[in-house]
Amino acid sequence: MKHGRSIPLATAILTLLLFVGGTAGPAWAIRPDEVLANPVLEARARAIGSELRCLVCQNESIDDSDADLAHDLRLLVRQRLLAGDSDEQVKQYMVSRYGTYVLLKPPFNLDTVFLWLGPLGFLVCAAGAAAVFYRRSALLPQEATQFSADEKRRLAALTGEDSTKTGGT
Amino acid sequence: MIAEIGHFALILALLVAAVQLTVPLVGAGRGDPVLMSVDRPSAIALFLLVSFSFGALIWLHVTSDFSVLNVVEYSHTDKPLLYKITGVWGSHEGSMMLWTFILVLYGLAVSIFGGNLPPGLRARVLSVQGMIAFAFLLFILLTSNPFIRVDPAPLNGNGLNPLLQDPGLAFHPPFLYLGYVGFSMAFSFAIAALLEGRVDAAWARWVRPWTLVAWCALTLGVAMGSWWSYYTLGWGGYWAWDPVENASFMPWLAGTALLHSAIVVEKRDSMKSWTIFLAIITFSLSLLGTFLVRSGILTSVHSFAVDPRRGTFILGLLITVTGGSLVLYALRAPALKAGGLFTPISREGGLLFNNIVLSIAAATVLLGTLYPLLADALNLGKVSVGPPYFNLVITPLLVPLILVMAIGPLLSWKRGNLAAAMAKLRFSLAVMVVTIVATLWATGLSSRGLLAACGVGLAAWLFFGTLSEWTSRIGLFQRSWNDAFHRALHLPRAAYGMTISHLGLAVVLLGVTGSLAWRTEYLQVMHPGESAQVAGYQLKFLGTEDGIQGPNYVSTRATFIVTREGRYITDLQPERRMFANPPQPLSTVAIHTNLISDLYVVLGDPAEKGGFVIHIYHNPLIPVLFLGALLLVLGGVVSLTDRHHRVGAPLRRALARIQPQPAAATAAAAAMAVLPTGPKPSRSWVYRVPVLAFVGLAGIFVYRLYLAEEGFTPDLIPSVLINRAAPAFDLPPLFDGKPGLKTADLRGKVTLVNFFASWCAPCREEHPVLSQITKAGIILVGINYKDRPQDATAWLTELGNPYNLIATDFKGSAGIDFGVYGVPESYLIDKQGVIRFKQTGPLTPDDIKNKLIPLAEKLNK
Repeated sequence: MKHGRSIPLATAILTLLLFVGGTAGPAWAIRPDEVLANPVLEARARAIGSELRCLVCQNESIDDSDADLAHDLRLLVRQRLLAGDSDEQVKQYMVSRYGTYVLLKPPFNLDTVFLWLGPLGFLVCAAGAAAVFYRRSALLPQEATQFSADEKRRLAALTGEDSTKTGGT
Repeated sequence: MIAEIGHFALILALLVAAVQLTVPLVGAGRGDPVLMSVDRPSAIALFLLVSFSFGALIWLHVTSDFSVLNVVEYSHTDKPLLYKITGVWGSHEGSMMLWTFILVLYGLAVSIFGGNLPPGLRARVLSVQGMIAFAFLLFILLTSNPFIRVDPAPLNGNGLNPLLQDPGLAFHPPFLYLGYVGFSMAFSFAIAALLEGRVDAAWARWVRPWTLVAWCALTLGVAMGSWWSYYTLGWGGYWAWDPVENASFMPWLAGTALLHSAIVVEKRDSMKSWTIFLAIITFSLSLLGTFLVRSGILTSVHSFAVDPRRGTFILGLLITVTGGSLVLYALRAPALKAGGLFTPISREGGLLFNNIVLSIAAATVLLGTLYPLLADALNLGKVSVGPPYFNLVITPLLVPLILVMAIGPLLSWKRGNLAAAMAKLRFSLAVMVVTIVATLWATGLSSRGLLAACGVGLAAWLFFGTLSEWTSRIGLFQRSWNDAFHRALHLPRAAYGMTISHLGLAVVLLGVTGSLAWRTEYLQVMHPGESAQVAGYQLKFLGTEDGIQGPNYVSTRATFIVTREGRYITDLQPERRMFANPPQPLSTVAIHTNLISDLYVVLGDPAEKGGFVIHIYHNPLIPVLFLGALLLVLGGVVSLTDRHHRVGAPLRRALARIQPQPAAATAAAAAMAVLPTGPKPSRSWVYRVPVLAFVGLAGIFVYRLYLAEEGFTPDLIPSVLINRAAPAFDLPPLFDGKPGLKTADLRGKVTLVNFFASWCAPCREEHPVLSQITKAGIILVGINYKDRPQDATAWLTELGNPYNLIATDFKGSAGIDFGVYGVPESYLIDKQGVIRFKQTGPLTPDDIKNKLIPLAEKLNK
């Protein structure tokens, strides 16, 4: 089966895609001459590259961008790695030139406190609201949650089966 | 003529919408059946007028009428017919027409299928629909009219971006909009319910099918967009957490929550005000998506026509619709009676858990998407929020969601038995443990292995857990085969819908995990005759063929022969196409799929000696991921065919005939008045929180749009080097025989360092004003950035040389040290060699007079 441009319309309409997840920069813009011979270093370069923003692009990492500057920065990342920098040092090298704006995963600091604590805040609020909801429900007069013996007998008569197995719809 | 008639029909439609938004609403308020009955005819008229107008626009595109501006801008005679039609929604104007067309289509559906709705409810619903239609028609007529003529008409048009000339993307917007706009139904029902002051099981039963339709369409639309990016963009990715993608993901999350909470309202008469709130939020997020894509306040890869004026209008719309409905919600929702009670361990409890997690996810995506804006508005500096952030915060939310997804459906309503449910899940639990161990063993104990193990384990848990729920429902392994078969046949379609969709999510999860964990990549310059080994496949590159003529492009096509263990599999032919109108290149990927994994080949740039850069990926489980998304939609469609959605709610219909909506005694004005009767609701402040949050958000949008209108560009990055010593550098001179430039040369005098290049257009624009700098006594140093010396010399000979000193930064390394990202950039450096000011982009005479010279004078003292 061959894909490419000749995808029939029906396939196009029927085939779909998804929502969750996301990929860690598969690096399509990278050119063969940039790739380091050492696969461990190259893997580190990719991991770093996918977290650095291409500054002249819009929301693309340097690994995803064709831009000239992205190419230069990819080379620079590899140079720094070859020079023995740690991942953190390479990122810091970029930050000292372009600011934290270059990081696609912003560091936790005063500027990003809401960004990083926000999801936690949502969680606390939601958990609190749910707790209040259930507590209030518990305070309200309870309806019967169990069948009485009489009801069980009638139910068994109606369904013709063992009524102790309830559950499901 | 057609254009004028289309335009006229649009104006008439606006008038009809004005009638539809007022008369039935007043009628419902007064209980006047005559006024109420205007709703259906006006919805039909609105549909006819808008579809006529939309049809006229399509006709203009199909016939290539280049006297119409919209056709000139987005069409060309050599475009295939399909893309002449789908190109209609490739433009902002056309896409708004499509939006409105789908909106009135839903209105038509209400008037056709809404026969069993109580007249008051239907009148209000259609009235709210009329309000939205009115706003969008006004928007089109005032800011985005697609029927504007041009005189003189050009001979041909500009053509459509080749990326958009693709079947996947051609049908992506209609489905996306069917989803976005479909949520307007739930919204209209929610507003109508708030006006009526009543939400009950019957209400939920009417709302659910509409929500399902919208959800299915949105899922399909998002999936198609993702699929398109997978096979066209050439890097095999399908989701990049771009703001525009997030804009479609947020309504999806909220809509999924709504789908589940409406079940609780229908079955148990509980979670009513929450469901109303979700309906408002879901549609508001759809509107927000529309706003973000068009306003230019967020930068994105696929922004539309960026125009602050349009942004202002849609923002006004967003504030009216969302703000208005949240105010209404704050006033009326506290009076909605709480319904059936339940404990946390129950079916409702599971659905509530789903709602909590999905809402947190939606809120988090919203926060991440808008944070760069918030940070700017609150003066927290420039922040980038990219995929690593979203992956990090969203993934942990998925784990509990998936875990509970298998358990929830096994619990009974009101009060469930967790132990009994877990007993039914013993098998799934065992499979999960086995797959986790097996995956770890196969992949190794690395972070990638752990990710893979978690993903596959959760997928297995959900898949088999969902199957267990089905088998226990039909009594498989407990009753006779015959009995189980009989039960399986008679299980409601809605139950099957849930099972299929949940299985679909498990499959999707498996696909995502596979694509993340086991992808392999090959990247080399290949010459004809060479072979590549990728994931057990051998790909032999035969060579390329030039000048292959397509309908509106010329392409270079490479041919690969794919074999596996010596056995021929297929030919793969990736292409590089050059489109004529507009002249743009497009790389076309070739994919071989065996429905488990894809072999994905990209033809890159030509290299030396007849070689080409070849990118080959082996993408395991990506086809499975698409299949899972298909199952998600299929589940929705199956559920939609359930009998109970068609039958409606006879009881309330009968009631409605007897007493025409007593709760409706107050008209639109009542919306602003607190309900007169009923017990004083406790905690009513809770219902006001959303309005307050929204006011804050809207304030930030207004501020940001104001800045956009003032010409503030959101892309400027402030330099971190301000008030720091200029980076060390040692550059050769541009002109032979002159001295080079070192950091030390900058000491002792106030200097402006200007990065420029002959290839940079704004530099040419800036060049004449540079002489004013030297006139003011500032030393002007030029650094020729990534330029060939002979080009730079010719440029300076032509335009004149304003610089005191010129060095060349051929490799751009000094540029990187200075944080240059786009020439021209200028740095004012004081006597001690400290950077005091940075200009990104060309200096204007005003900048020099008002900023540079005063600052330089201060620094010279």
